[in-house]
Amino acid sequence: MKQETPGATQAELKQPAGPLPDPLVSRFAAVVGDAYCIHEPAQLRTYESDGLASFRVTPGVVVLPASTEEVVACVKLAREARLPIVARGSGTGLSGGALPVPGCVLIGLSRMRRILEVDYDNAFIRVQPGVINLDVSKHIGPQGWYYAPDPSSQSVCSIGGNVAENSGGAHCLKYGFTVNHTLGMRMVLHDGSVVDIGGPVPDAPGYDLAGVIVGSEGLLGIVTEVVLRILRKPEATRTLFATFPSNTEAANAVSAIIASGIVPAAIEMMDTLAIAAAKAATGVDWPDVDSALLMDVDGVTEECEHTSAVAVELARKAGALEIRVPRDAAERELMWKGRKSAFAAVGRIARNYLVQDGVIPRSEIARVLQEIAQLGERFGLRVANVFHAGDGNLHPLVLFDGRDPAEEKKAEEMSGEILRICLKHGGSITGEHGVGADKAPYMGEMFTEQDLETMQLVRCAFDPAGSFNPGKVFPSPRLCGDKPGLYQPHPTELSGEAWRA
Amino acid sequence: MARLTPGSVDEAQALLAEGGRRVLFVGGGTAMPPGPPVDLEVATGKLNRVVEYAPADQVVTVECGVTLAQLQTELGKNGQRLALDPPQPEKATLGGIVASNSFGPLRTRYGSVRDLIIGVSIVRADGTRAKGGGKVVKTVAGFDLPKLMCGSWGTLAFIATATFRVHPVPEQTLTLCARGGDPLELVRRVRGMQLEPAAMMAVREPGGWDVYLRFEGFGAGVRAQRDKLRDLEESRWPAPETGAVRVRFGALPSHVSQVAKALGPLRARIEWLPTLGVGVASCASVDPSALQGARRELMALGGWLVADGDWGPAPASLPLQRSVKERLDPGGLLAPGRFLA
Repeated sequence: MKQETPGATQAELKQPAGPLPDPLVSRFAAVVGDAYCIHEPAQLRTYESDGLASFRVTPGVVVLPASTEEVVACVKLAREARLPIVARGSGTGLSGGALPVPGCVLIGLSRMRRILEVDYDNAFIRVQPGVINLDVSKHIGPQGWYYAPDPSSQSVCSIGGNVAENSGGAHCLKYGFTVNHTLGMRMVLHDGSVVDIGGPVPDAPGYDLAGVIVGSEGLLGIVTEVVLRILRKPEATRTLFATFPSNTEAANAVSAIIASGIVPAAIEMMDTLAIAAAKAATGVDWPDVDSALLMDVDGVTEECEHTSAVAVELARKAGALEIRVPRDAAERELMWKGRKSAFAAVGRIARNYLVQDGVIPRSEIARVLQEIAQLGERFGLRVANVFHAGDGNLHPLVLFDGRDPAEEKKAEEMSGEILRICLKHGGSITGEHGVGADKAPYMGEMFTEQDLETMQLVRCAFDPAGSFNPGKVFPSPRLCGDKPGLYQPHPTELSGEAWRA
Repeated sequence: MARLTPGSVDEAQALLAEGGRRVLFVGGGTAMPPGPPVDLEVATGKLNRVVEYAPADQVVTVECGVTLAQLQTELGKNGQRLALDPPQPEKATLGGIVASNSFGPLRTRYGSVRDLIIGVSIVRADGTRAKGGGKVVKTVAGFDLPKLMCGSWGTLAFIATATFRVHPVPEQTLTLCARGGDPLELVRRVRGMQLEPAAMMAVREPGGWDVYLRFEGFGAGVRAQRDKLRDLEESRWPAPETGAVRVRFGALPSHVSQVAKALGPLRARIEWLPTLGVGVASCASVDPSALQGARRELMALGGWLVADGDWGPAPASLPLQRSVKERLDPGGLLAPGRFLA
């Protein structure tokens, strides 16, 4: 028996190409206030893409509600007008998760940025979704606490966006992802009803809906409050930076360190191009080598001293050229700044790049990097690698010159091939950036029809009309021409409603 | 009622695909809640293979009928373990542990099964096989079906295989005990000193709480932490509770004294994870009115209590919970009458 899928009803949603008619705009404006209801075509352009700027779609209207009640009213209005709804946090996502749907109501949550409650005895914080990730740690830092998930964009990305994407970060190797730190949420559902799920007390009877909502990429509803677990800061952190003659030695060092029983807080790997880019952008005085590792261990001081000494020894045995330990906190911070700014820094050595987010078993890193390098030679494109080696989450940046359409097409094709290599090695198409609009066409290569249908059933349980973020995550039945592989113009692109930069 | 023991996931799938029967999945029977009769029990005893184990990647995939003890033996050969320690590891199966969200004191550091499961393959009520997650420690592709299975009590689908992240066995382990300690004060003290116990558990004895801390890791760190808690005595970790009735409950960690008061009339031995706010009360038998009284008090504090198939009042999210159940098991065939569905 085939149940209805959101895709079937999605087609019935009205998707006007241009801005909404004035009477409808006025009704949204009446909810959020004129200043927070954006409908002028020039202003709408600000919201036409997220961090994946190669996809652009103009929304019908953008509303910036200030409360759960205003979100409810906006959802009800959109439902009445049969308009799709897309939620947006800071718009830093790298998979097009917050890419508008033509004519949609884009609900921006950036005004909902209050910290509502902090409870140290019970180790939680309650925040609105627009709160910036780093601001959580800043808020509780003076008391000696922090929030663990640390995406590289943490100084600008929002908690609501983190929840939607199940964001990771360098330190997730030891501490887990957003989902492991999200205790509950308040959510506005498709019919405008509000439901509280989970909370500071764990395991209340019921399915682990919080576990499903985190990482659901805005397809299930709109989260308007989040309860996060907070952690006491570790007593000590020890950082080491090690250079290697090639990725193979660096990858062997990672394997040896993990095999020794150490659970590092983070192990990041960078190759020649990424090192060069980070140097150019941040002024770190790293040598020109083929490969480098940046590693943190944290915890009780004596444990850290022991594990960092063992890690240094293992890195040497694996063939490290040089090992540096930062003299002070400032130098440590600079090392991490070099790593965290690497994506942006690559802009200094190439006009354009595509970043991938595939995951492979950690033990395959050296082999897979070789395969990617061979792919680069075959396509005649340079690849910079800067990634979370500890959990095998690659971030190959395929460099190209966007002024040459043929080269851009090659870069897209090569990025797809990289994902296939990850799948061939038993991995995943995305470790932390999300599927979004970008990788939806590849979902069918990782999952069977039955897997996807099962996930669609979960979606239907939350949002039977498929009004939240249609066209994301699932290879949309309505756009069944979407095939993995070579880029094909999207129907909305052909009709002029969407375009690529 | 028939009871069948499929020898493979394919056989289990075929049983479900026949359709039309109310089904209960039976693992080690250590946490099975009572409920109305079914037409078919599917026992998982023969689905006891470790499907794939990659020590270098610290990832293992098992069939649902593998017992926790069997898995730990296998992982131990490579100095690794699954950081889950629910009671009765010789009997408890991984499928059952996932379905019942069983946990032990290691949850303090490593979290519960939802934090360690990374992939799952399931068979839906109509025999459809599906998977979610993956076999790498990090993936966000698709909805998180593995987490949906955690604590689903067999009502959503048959959990055929599950994939977990595993951890190294610690080099050294040391247990300390604060007899008659105040769990909340000790938690504050441990956090204040930035100590990192792998497990922390308060046990309610007639005289008050005994609070146990287990430190794990490399020798240097374990010794250093022990030295900072000179006033506590070294101890054995307390033997697991053995009562016939196990009552699970949750409340905010800061409500520990109210929790003790609320559960007092049960005359049960209480185990409480003081950093998290979950616990188990166990006793030989329980007086139903005492149980309802304890639940009322906990719920007034924002907590909950579940006993032997009695899940208590419906949560506010019940319509959504029901909706998930109806989509995945539209005929209501799986574990009928159990859980909220």
